[in-house]
Amino acid sequence: MLGVFGLEFAIETIGLTKRYGSLTAVDKLDLRVKTNTIHGFLGPNGAGKTTTIKILVGLLKPNEGIVKIFGDEAKGDVPDIRLKIGYMPELPKFPKHLTGYELLDIYGEMYGLTKMARKEQVPKLLEMVGLQERGRDRIGKYSKGMQQRVGIAQALINEPELVILDEPSLGLDPVGMVEVRELVKGIAKMGTTVFISSHLLHEVQQVCSEITIINRGISLASGTIEEISAKFAKLAAMEVEVSEYSDVVIKKLKELPFVAQISVDGKKITIQTETKEDVRAQVSKTITDSGGIIVSMNLKEQSLEDVFMKLVAESGGVEKK
Amino acid sequence: MTKEKEKKHDSKFTRRLIAIVRYELLWNIRKKKFLGLLVVAFALATVALGLPVIMSIVRNEPIAQNPDQVVTAGVGIGALGFFLFAVVIAMNSISGEFESGTIVPLLTKPVSRTMIFLGKILASFLILLATYTILLCYLSIGSIIVYGPQNNLHLLPLSLVGSIISTFIWIAIILAIGTLSKSSMIAALGAFGMWMGLSIASMVILVFPEQAGVLNYLPGNGASAYIGSPNNMISTGTSSIASNLVTYVLNPSANTTYYKPRYSLNPPSYQAIPLYTESLSLTLARSIGVAVAYILLFMFISWFALKRAEVVE
Repeated sequence: MLGVFGLEFAIETIGLTKRYGSLTAVDKLDLRVKTNTIHGFLGPNGAGKTTTIKILVGLLKPNEGIVKIFGDEAKGDVPDIRLKIGYMPELPKFPKHLTGYELLDIYGEMYGLTKMARKEQVPKLLEMVGLQERGRDRIGKYSKGMQQRVGIAQALINEPELVILDEPSLGLDPVGMVEVRELVKGIAKMGTTVFISSHLLHEVQQVCSEITIINRGISLASGTIEEISAKFAKLAAMEVEVSEYSDVVIKKLKELPFVAQISVDGKKITIQTETKEDVRAQVSKTITDSGGIIVSMNLKEQSLEDVFMKLVAESGGVEKK
Repeated sequence: MTKEKEKKHDSKFTRRLIAIVRYELLWNIRKKKFLGLLVVAFALATVALGLPVIMSIVRNEPIAQNPDQVVTAGVGIGALGFFLFAVVIAMNSISGEFESGTIVPLLTKPVSRTMIFLGKILASFLILLATYTILLCYLSIGSIIVYGPQNNLHLLPLSLVGSIISTFIWIAIILAIGTLSKSSMIAALGAFGMWMGLSIASMVILVFPEQAGVLNYLPGNGASAYIGSPNNMISTGTSSIASNLVTYVLNPSANTTYYKPRYSLNPPSYQAIPLYTESLSLTLARSIGVAVAYILLFMFISWFALKRAEVVE
């Protein structure tokens, strides 16, 4: 699907590399975020997510590689590119001496919004993030959750084509996290591309249509959740409940070429397979032929969490800071 | 950009610059240390105006009329006042943004770092202009009440400009140290160290009066000289631009004479031995030139450091 600029990608990085001395925080990263999607940027702490985002918004300079935002190369201090981006940093900090209203009004002015547009937009955004009652209070008096919500509001002040949210749920209680998820879904409904970084799998799974998994600065996988699960979920588990079985049943099952592991708990047999194909018929036949009687059979596909853990482990585990 | 969005936006340079200035001004006028210093400045000005009144009551003598009180006193805060105002205005301006993390949302807005820097400088100028204007008005009204009608009030804007230039040297130095170190404390302490060092150096160098001229090329009070007679002493450095500007306008042909102090114990006496003389216009031009050179140099360092700064944390 093409976005407002007739472009396929809102974000595109080619060979993006950022080094801090001997540490490579981002390593030849090729990232593509399609327009009009909610794209999750998933990785453990220290994976290079924030560094990548800081390069995208111009806070850091890459050592190598290219960054394109809606097809325009972001090289150096390019305010015109930032005009298209709304960004909420990880644990955002805003000037404590300003009120929520003043902050949004001044930031709106920096985007070139006219006074009339700001008068319309600021109260709307304060209401959207549930701060209409506290808009005239200084930010220094806001709770962490309220600062997070102001962070989202300021990222939307310009009705940007691309919103980048860096760990938007960090430090929030469960209610706050649900609210943020709903806000993100609302932003996407306005036709905005959302790029959201998180280390919380369930958050990404609930709001994102596409994801990129990163660890140690390297992109491990990218695509829709289904595509990634299908591509990397080599193992599947099958739970078989039997009314009767003997050791022969277990022995015959172990002889099947695709069986990796079998565990028995009472009358429940759990079979780990090494194939993505549906092998329920073969398992069923083997049990029945060996004298077992099947009550039920469930195929448990690997979750995104399993895939994520596997990919992170294979890429060398979590970076120790 | 869609047509509807275009209606809400304009790409005016001034709109964005005003936003930065507003952002900085609101920060400055709400700073406790700035408000505190303002209160102290007004308290000192009040004491300076009130003391002669109290003394005259105690002595039961009328206050001597002084029609030149305002033009000679200027904003009445001296070199230390200029330095302190520079510290409270500039110490957090850029380094504070890095320390508090507010630099992150600021630098990701569609304004260039050069514009952010310009906005902050413009805001510092406006806040100084407003502060010194209010102080000057307060002192003028007070002086008229205490010392009677004042002469040459039309020269007060010159005094204002001179005071702002003197303060801006320290603002530039503090900004540069702050942007390089990204620490408000280092900026304030570094500048204070410089200020103290220069003040001590200017006292030490009195032992070598022939070399005192070097102080004219450093920020601060500079060397000591007199105009006309040793009773009319002036400082020739960047901190005295305001008073020297006024003196020059009132007396364009005046000369400054640098001297060597000679003390005698038997009988105790003090004598100022003239070393060399130059025109006041040269003294003034040099002090303004030195001030502008320092302002530009340190502003450039600060701008360059901001331009290249990466926000890692």
